[in-house]
Amino acid sequence: MSADTDTKDQVAALGEKYKYGFVTDIEMDKAPKGLNADIVRFISAKKDEPEWMLEWRLAAFRRWGEMTEPNWARLRYNKIDYQDAYYYAAPKSTEKYKDLDEVDPKLLETYKKLGIPLSEQKMLAGVAVDAVFDSVSVATTFKGKLNEAGVIFCPMSEAIRDYSDLVRKYLGTVVPVTDNFFATLNSAVFSDGTFVYVPKGVRCPMELSTYFRINASQTGQFERTLIVADEGSYVSYLEGCTAPMRDENQLHAAVVELVALEGAEIKYSTVQNWYPGDENGKGGIYNFVTKRGDCRGARSKISWTQVETGSAITWKYPSCILRGDDSVGEFYSIAITNNYQQADTGTKMIHLGKNTRSRIISKGISAGKAQNTYRGLVSVHAKAANARNYTQCDSLLIGSQCGAHTVPYIESRNPTARLEHEATTSKIAEDQLFYCLQRGLTAEEAVALIVNGFCKEVLQQLPMEFAVEAQKLVGISLEGSVG
Amino acid sequence: MSTAHSHREARRAEALESFRVRGMPHRRFEHWRYSDLRAVLDAGQVAQAGTAHWSIPALPEGVEQFDLAAPNAPAWVLKAYGTIGNRPTMEEASLAFSDGGVALRVPAGTTIAEPIRLEIAGGGNLRWLVVVEEGASATIFEPHGSDVGLLRNVGVDVALSEGAALTHIRFAPFTPKSFVVEHIAVAVSARAQYRAHFANFGARLSRTELHITLGGEGAEAHLSGVTVLGHDGHADVTSHIEHAAGKTLSTQLFKHVAGGKSRAVYQGKITVREGANGSDSRQTARALLMSERAEADLKPELIIFADDVKCAHGATAGDLDPESLFYLRSRGIPEKEARRILINAFLQEAVETILDEDLRAAVWHEVEAALPRAMESAK
Amino acid sequence: MLEIKNLHANVGDKEILKGLTLTIETGKVHAIMGPNGSGKSTLSYVLAGREGYTVTAGSITYNGEDLLALKTEERAAKRIFLAMQYPVEIPGVTTMNFLKTALNAQRRARGESEYDAISILKLVRAKARVLQVNEEMLKRALNVGFSGGEKKRLEILQMSLFEPKLAVLDETDSGLDIDALKLVAEGVNALRSPERSMLVITHYQRLLDYIVPDRIHVLANGRMVAEGGKELAHELEATGYGDLGKVPA
Repeated sequence: MSADTDTKDQVAALGEKYKYGFVTDIEMDKAPKGLNADIVRFISAKKDEPEWMLEWRLAAFRRWGEMTEPNWARLRYNKIDYQDAYYYAAPKSTEKYKDLDEVDPKLLETYKKLGIPLSEQKMLAGVAVDAVFDSVSVATTFKGKLNEAGVIFCPMSEAIRDYSDLVRKYLGTVVPVTDNFFATLNSAVFSDGTFVYVPKGVRCPMELSTYFRINASQTGQFERTLIVADEGSYVSYLEGCTAPMRDENQLHAAVVELVALEGAEIKYSTVQNWYPGDENGKGGIYNFVTKRGDCRGARSKISWTQVETGSAITWKYPSCILRGDDSVGEFYSIAITNNYQQADTGTKMIHLGKNTRSRIISKGISAGKAQNTYRGLVSVHAKAANARNYTQCDSLLIGSQCGAHTVPYIESRNPTARLEHEATTSKIAEDQLFYCLQRGLTAEEAVALIVNGFCKEVLQQLPMEFAVEAQKLVGISLEGSVG
Repeated sequence: MSTAHSHREARRAEALESFRVRGMPHRRFEHWRYSDLRAVLDAGQVAQAGTAHWSIPALPEGVEQFDLAAPNAPAWVLKAYGTIGNRPTMEEASLAFSDGGVALRVPAGTTIAEPIRLEIAGGGNLRWLVVVEEGASATIFEPHGSDVGLLRNVGVDVALSEGAALTHIRFAPFTPKSFVVEHIAVAVSARAQYRAHFANFGARLSRTELHITLGGEGAEAHLSGVTVLGHDGHADVTSHIEHAAGKTLSTQLFKHVAGGKSRAVYQGKITVREGANGSDSRQTARALLMSERAEADLKPELIIFADDVKCAHGATAGDLDPESLFYLRSRGIPEKEARRILINAFLQEAVETILDEDLRAAVWHEVEAALPRAMESAK
Repeated sequence: MLEIKNLHANVGDKEILKGLTLTIETGKVHAIMGPNGSGKSTLSYVLAGREGYTVTAGSITYNGEDLLALKTEERAAKRIFLAMQYPVEIPGVTTMNFLKTALNAQRRARGESEYDAISILKLVRAKARVLQVNEEMLKRALNVGFSGGEKKRLEILQMSLFEPKLAVLDETDSGLDIDALKLVAEGVNALRSPERSMLVITHYQRLLDYIVPDRIHVLANGRMVAEGGKELAHELEATGYGDLGKVPA
């Protein structure tokens, strides 16, 4: 197949609206509505957690009570009523699966509809999946093969019970309990998530992937992910997210912590496609997420790649603390906002060690009445001799009623460091559009094509299995933006 | 005429109230995060600083001058006096606490070839304003004296009517014990041009803030500046250019050299308002750090609400290019001299935007005098 | 006049030169040929004293003096000239001003009197004419916006102006078409003299058709692997570097 027909086929598949908006009708086990210390105890008890974990949660909850919700410069949203939501919701039958055969067929059906088959035979070659449905992990595939390599890949709730010492050693060491309002809330009520540990010198034999699904209404999702790559190890991890169409706003406040020890490398990719709300801005997910990686050892590397197309509001800054000498941090981002979506996303690269390097490539696309902000910090501390940063932020505007904003902070305290930042903002080129139309593409196909080109540098960073999916998503997200 | 007088008094009373409510800016103000004024100076000190001095040794023919200490201000003064820009708190303070200043008017159609030399001296608050009427053009050269004392807080209004052009060159000497704050509010009408150059040599805390509104089609602003710092010097240049109309153009080129324990700050915000189509905005900020203890903070910001725009910014921080340094040394130029040549070239690019040869030479003279300080602790 | 003995040099942590030995005689033109990555450019930078190129063992003696003890600019003042493969662009520094500054810096270091602006201008103009470097180029910022040929001609102009005793020409032919190459080669040949040694570094034999060397040395994997007269260039052209590049360390 020639490249041209290939592309045409891809854009032809775009004629679908938000296709993950269905609801799975399944009996749920929920905690009572609202948030108090008893709810925190309820969650902890449901998970059969050790005492230290409950104490940790309660401390976070007390701290959260003393904090005030941040008031951000460029985000507008209705106040969240934290008492009018469920903090724990789990499919009733999930309690103790031994293997996939025991999983409720309705759940398997749900993941099939989402394009995430959980049966291992049908899996994309070489990708292990952990599926999180509302508050619990429902299935983890390829456990056996990973065990052989010594890689731990399991739901966080399981890890807290089975690998208590490991979790306790690293949990909260990258994102402290008191880090920010939403991270603290997460620390108190997180329900599940994924834990990964890659032992010394091990190259994880397959891509690891977690698939997050919010299904229940009036429910917040608070997953917690912790990935530890021990000395000289390598792991590539991908997360995907969807939610049903509802006209209420649901809160997603996740925390992701990455720890890369000496010589280790973590590649973390996100394809975020939470329900963005309808074309009038009703409903959609509030995606307030804290993601941070700590290059704790020398020569370690953490690379974030994100494709953010969903959510009513996205607030996230996947960051790297470049502590180890010669460590490397990367951030590749595509953020697409349409209709009334708002995205405020970017990264922080904190250069502490010598010869640390960071690279930031951000592509923001804004259409409809959306607002899209890149916000990023590159900070070079006095001891970070020979630190290097390169940042490129490009924004594309489609239509005259949207906004695209770039807010970089560049702080250097070392004369041998070199920081370079470039940014551009422009509209989608009319000559390119015309050219495509003249060659027979519809306006939407043309936009999808051009925007994919604009994002290419970032799309290339994604694991191959997901790059095609992400390309389609780029097109779907911009439907209705030209007309 | 008493109405005119009370008009000014009313504006000053309003400014006083506004300053009283908002108080001193500090690092929790997003745009003051690199210059914490409240930590080093309190509102009472600003209120009691008195009024700084101004003088115009030779007013070119054709320019009208009004002493703001005098009563009965004419209508052209009242129209501009404290009415331009976004009224940040320190600008309100300069209105509230200064008992004088100067207003200049360049009448419609007049071209004033000779630069108007406006000298600022002494400590305290001060206001000055300039109105350039339709199709008129002028140059203001504004050297600041080093006799600042504790504080100099200058508020400036610049009103440019259609097709008017103003070139504004200002330099502030190194005043290590002083606080120097300036706020320059500029309204640029259709086809009018504001060109400005700011040469900063640092203070204990120095803040130059610009708020420029390109309010009519074809309006332009071209800013450039050099900051040369050594010792404990601090200099913060913060600009906000609003493209409020279509086909407006702005360019910015700021160069900073920071040695010793100094801190160079540049914050440049560009806003393109909805409907300001065809706007073009370019911004470059570069900083050279010359010592282990110097710091550079750059924050170039693009806030874009229109789609038919071309906006770009670039910012770099670092040391001199080692390739260039090697090339010069390999041709026999000693390292210190080679560094000096490269720093000169780095700064010259910004100074060269001053079109008037004499003024360019005057600014360069100051730059050369300040460089040894910046290079003192260079490797 | 130049003796390199058992030279080992690193770039960063990597050893590039691994025991290189070479003697260059006064008034002779030596050529170094070798495949990419053999260490040719490293040698030229080590001779010029570039930071980041660390000599870990061996010696270089230049007219009886320890060259490695000298700073980059001191070597230039002692008349070592390196014509670079990629002359750097320096915005804001005009070419003429640069030439004057460099020439006077060298003269000052040698205890000679400095030239005034007018004598230098005359001197440069005379040399520029020969190399077809026009006045306009001299007014522009150093190498900024110059074509490949213009950059190389300016390098040769500097060689002529600084009158080196040892000129190192690093891949001077790269990026030049045949006419530009001939012009540059003529410039170089005009500077051949019994007092001046040259070290011509090149990947291809082409340049050596125009600048005919007295000796040819073949560098591979950080050390000299063959040596011969000018005919060696054509032999290499016929056989390629082949196994020479795979000499075990």
